[in-house]
Amino acid sequence: MDMYALRTLRSQPVRLLLTIGGVALCIILMLFLLSVYRGAADGSVDYIRRNKADLWVLQRNATNILRGSSFLSASQAERVAAVPGVEKVSSVLFLLSTIKKGGNVRTVFLTGFEPESGLGGPPQFVRGRNVRGDDEIVLDKSFTQKFHFEVGDEVNLQGRPLKVVGISAWTNAFVIQYAFVTLRFARELIGFPSLATCFLVRIKEGADPGDIQSRIRAELPGLEVYDHPTFLENNIREMKSGFLPLLYTVAAIGAIVLTVILSLLLSVNILERRKDFAILKTIGSPLPFLWGMVVKQAVLISSASSLAALAAFFPLVRLIERVSPEVSTKSTAGQIAAVIMAVGLMSLLSSGISIRRLRRIYFLEAFQ
Amino acid sequence: MSGRNDLSAVACCEGLSKVFGTNEHQTAAVRDVTLQAYAGEIILLLGPSGSGKTTLLTLLAGLSRPTSGRVLLFGKDIESYSSRELQQVRARRIGFIFQTFLLIDSLTALENVEIVLRFNGRGRGERRKRARQLLGDFGIGHLEGKFPRTMSQGEKQRVAIARAIGNDASLILADEPTGSLETKQGFGVIELLRRLAKDQGRCVIVASHDLRLREFADRIFRFEDGRLQPDAA
Repeated sequence: MDMYALRTLRSQPVRLLLTIGGVALCIILMLFLLSVYRGAADGSVDYIRRNKADLWVLQRNATNILRGSSFLSASQAERVAAVPGVEKVSSVLFLLSTIKKGGNVRTVFLTGFEPESGLGGPPQFVRGRNVRGDDEIVLDKSFTQKFHFEVGDEVNLQGRPLKVVGISAWTNAFVIQYAFVTLRFARELIGFPSLATCFLVRIKEGADPGDIQSRIRAELPGLEVYDHPTFLENNIREMKSGFLPLLYTVAAIGAIVLTVILSLLLSVNILERRKDFAILKTIGSPLPFLWGMVVKQAVLISSASSLAALAAFFPLVRLIERVSPEVSTKSTAGQIAAVIMAVGLMSLLSSGISIRRLRRIYFLEAFQ
Repeated sequence: MSGRNDLSAVACCEGLSKVFGTNEHQTAAVRDVTLQAYAGEIILLLGPSGSGKTTLLTLLAGLSRPTSGRVLLFGKDIESYSSRELQQVRARRIGFIFQTFLLIDSLTALENVEIVLRFNGRGRGERRKRARQLLGDFGIGHLEGKFPRTMSQGEKQRVAIARAIGNDASLILADEPTGSLETKQGFGVIELLRRLAKDQGRCVIVASHDLRLREFADRIFRFEDGRLQPDAA
C-alpha cells in the first residue's frame, strides 16, 4: 500500500510535474532570499571587517556607517591623535555621490580616505592600484562589471574628471558600492575642508584598547569610540534590521504559496480518489493509515521538489550573479538544511490541511 | 431481541428502521426489519434497486446508524461499540463485496488483497503469503501483479472476494455481487459464496435482484419499500 501514494500521484503526470515545479520555485525563492541575505549581510560589512583599525571613532550616538550620520572635524582628529597610546588616526569621509560616464549616471558610496595612512582604503585590489592623487578613483569590482568600467577609464564625479586607477574587492554593499578617492578631494567636493565621518585609530603595541577608549571618551565627550568587533557587530545589526523584515516577509510568502500549492494538490487527489478512501474506510482502514497516505504524498512531492530546487538553484544563482554582479550571494549547508526542514514542516502542514477532507468522506459513498 | 438465538447469531437486528431526509422530505429506506443471520448460512435479500437492501447491509455493518431499532453484531449491541472498535470489527471480522468490485485501481491484485490484511496488523511477509494463497485458491494467482484495469469483470470480482475474506471474516456482506457479471461468471461467483458459507462456516448475506441466486440461498427475504418479508416463491 506504500505504493498507493506514489502511483496515485503518477496517475496525473502533468499535474504532478506542475506541482513539483511550483513547489520547487518556492524553495528556490526561499534559498535565494537566504543566500542574498547572507551575501548582503556579509558583503555590506566586508569593508569594515577588512579594515583592521583598532578603534572606530564617530560622533556621539552614531553606531554605524551604513545607516547613520556622523560629523567630525580635523581638530578632533588631532586631539584623538594626542591621546597617549594612540599610534595613528586616519580620517574617513563617506558621501553619497554620482558618477557619470557617457550619458549614464550611477550612485556610489564615495569614501574619502588618506592613502598614505594605510587605513580606510580599498581592502583588496582586483586590478590596478590605490589612488595617489586627487584626480584618481578606485571603483568596486561588481560596479565596474555591471556598468562596464575599466582601469584607465575617465569618469565624471559631480563635474570633476577622475581617472579609474584601480578596481577593488570586498566593497560591494549590495544596494550600493564603495568608490575611493582622496580625503582632500571628498572634502572639496562638499565644500567642508575639515569634515570627516569617522576616525580609524591604530593603537601602539602593548597599549590597552579599553583604556584608550576611556581616555578618548573622557577627553572628547562628543565622540563615541568602538573597538573593531563591536563596530563590526553594530553595522551587521544595522544591516539586518534593514533587510531582514523584508526578506522574512517575502520568504514567508514563498512558504505560504508552497503550502497552498501542496494543499491544493493533496486535496484534489483526495477528492478525485474519494471513492478509494470510502472503500478503505468501509473495509476497516484505521484513520491514521489514511492520514499516513496523504502525508506520504506530501513528503514525496516535497522531496522531489527539494531535489529539483537544489539542482536548479546553483546554476540559477551563477546566472543571476553574472547578469547582476552587485547581487552577491552566499549559501551554506546550514541555510539549505534550514530551508529543507521548513519545507518538511510546510508539507506536514499541507497534509494537515488536506487530511481534514478525509473526515467528510463517508462510508456510504462506497456503495453508491 | 433476546434469547440464545440472538446472541449466537453473527448479526441480527430487531425493529430496525432507517429514515433519510428531514421533515416533509423524509424517505424510509428500511422499515421495522427483524433478522437473524447465523454462521454457515447464506441469506438472500431480494428486491429491486432502491428497495433498501444496501441500506440494511450498511446498518448491519455499523456503517450508518439506525433511526430506530437495534443491531447486534457478534453478540454485542452495535451502540456499545466505540468507533475504533467498529473499525476493528470491520477490519477483522467483516468482509465486503460490492457490485462494481471497488478494487483500488492504483494497486495490483495482490496489493488489493493484502491491504485488508494490513488493517489486521499482520506483518508484511505474512500478508504477502496469505494474499498469494487466497489468489491461488480462487484460481487467479497469475493475476497477482496485474492492475484492475487489465482484468475481466469476473477476475475483478474474484479478487474482490479474495479481499473480502482475506481477514478471515466470519460475516460476508455482498451487495449485488453478480450485478456486473455475465451469466457464467455470475454462477462462478455464486459458487464461491456458497463454498464460503458451507465449507468454511461463514455467514453470507447477499443483497441482490438476481433471481438466479435463489437456489443457492438458505433463506430468502424479499425487500419491498424498505420492508422485509419471507420470500413466498
